[in-house]
Amino acid sequence: MADNNLCYLSATELGEKIAAGEISSVEVTEAYLERIAQLDGNYASYITVTAERAREDARRADAEIAAGNRRGPLHGVPVAVKDQFDTAGILTTNGSTILGENIPDADATIMTRLKEAGTVLLGKLNMSEYASGDAFWHPYGRPRNPWDTRRNPGTSSSGSGAATAAFLCATSLGEDTGGSIRGPAAFCGLVGIRPTLGLVSRHGVFGASWSMDTAGPISRTVTDCAHTLAAIAGHDPNDPQTWDVPAPDYAAALDGNIRGLKLGIVTERVHTDANDPEVQDAVIAATQVLAGLGAEVSDVSLPLIVNSSEISYAIISSDAAMLNWDIISTERLRDLDHNNQVRLLMGSVIPATAYQKAMRLRDALRRQILAALEDVDALIMPASSVPATLIPETTGLGTKADVIAGFKGRRGFTAPFNLANLPALSINCGFTASGLPIGLQIAGRAFDETTLFRLAYAYEQATDWGERRPPGV
Amino acid sequence: MVDLTNGEVLALAKASNITIPDDLVTEVRDSLNGLLEALEAIEEPDVSGIQPLPIIVSATARKQEAQ
Repeated sequence: MADNNLCYLSATELGEKIAAGEISSVEVTEAYLERIAQLDGNYASYITVTAERAREDARRADAEIAAGNRRGPLHGVPVAVKDQFDTAGILTTNGSTILGENIPDADATIMTRLKEAGTVLLGKLNMSEYASGDAFWHPYGRPRNPWDTRRNPGTSSSGSGAATAAFLCATSLGEDTGGSIRGPAAFCGLVGIRPTLGLVSRHGVFGASWSMDTAGPISRTVTDCAHTLAAIAGHDPNDPQTWDVPAPDYAAALDGNIRGLKLGIVTERVHTDANDPEVQDAVIAATQVLAGLGAEVSDVSLPLIVNSSEISYAIISSDAAMLNWDIISTERLRDLDHNNQVRLLMGSVIPATAYQKAMRLRDALRRQILAALEDVDALIMPASSVPATLIPETTGLGTKADVIAGFKGRRGFTAPFNLANLPALSINCGFTASGLPIGLQIAGRAFDETTLFRLAYAYEQATDWGERRPPGV
Repeated sequence: MVDLTNGEVLALAKASNITIPDDLVTEVRDSLNGLLEALEAIEEPDVSGIQPLPIIVSATARKQEAQ
């Protein structure tokens, strides 16, 4: 029997122990495979477990390390990725039965990068169909939140959140179009970062919105998250949106010192009735911790941020409709989840006047955010206005009034930074009385992920939230 | 603003060369009307000088921000 305790080590600790020869990658991989087989029936976090590939990767990693050829901090570490990323020779469904037999010939660039970093691929993770947070039907099983299996682990990188929180992988990748990394990170008590658009390649990644899709890590610790982002970041000639800027060694900057960093509390998103009171209290308490560590905290106002949900919904719905035109313009439409049928059809008939207004408002919002970031180093607000929501029992997007009311909800907490193409991170900042995690969001300037990691690391070291495990896990 | 009717939504779909199945028309209409009303209600700042570019991080800004 494999040593289940290995699965509770962080990715960074695993990498160090494997490098030191204290444990082997094969041992760790077997422990994870055994744990997945035992527990994933509770969470439905995996669509495909790539056991033989994992064992092959692990044997190669052990041999390379034994020969003195360590590739980096994640060499030999088992990871899993959202099923939105092409993997050569491995089923890649994008969460849909439409792609139920899709086996790509080539890897997405980020998968190549993970391979080059020496990671071990445990498998492909469950997700909302076509990365749409509205999807109700999950053909590969309904992902469940390890903190409360009646609840959603966050969308659309639902499997990435659930698997990482349940210790079914050491670190994972998700994709964030409107909040699909930070949402699962917040709901599952994890660290997730949506990088600056252009830092991480989208080549080989199924798209949902041309101007907002960004792949990134969901991890259990800040250092793990920093190492995982470093492994996949960087220019890719196959993705014209990536920029040829160096990807720093994010982890090297994590010294716990944040003295003098200036933080802006987004008043419209912190001091608002839109928040669950426990979320509001936890975020305010977290800012006090950061202030106690030497950060200079002040309030900032971003008036348009309260409308970011409807602005992003107009743009993403239209983009997603056009990206999936080959489906919605044919009989295959009916193979989609009901809610996705409605949303994509709606996205295909949005009047140009409304779309153009949304695009202009988007730029106006971005200007407000950039102006604020001239005075502060990072912005602080909740990653979600509420803790993990109950899994819905019925499908449908509701009435017109429901749609409008929905724009006041949690989407509007992650969407601003997708619209602005800026990096944003979620880290656990406490729990509700019923034991659900709460996400603190830290957003910053383009390509300044380092500052976000520094702040999150200092907060992580000053608190003990990360020591809790989901019940039964 | 006046809500679009099912017939008007179907006309938009026809102009886009897609078919909305009968059982989905009302939901698509409600979803679209909700979005349009929410956008309409936004107190718009002066956006007259703003070009609605699809990729809003300019090359110049990126290079400056990356330095």
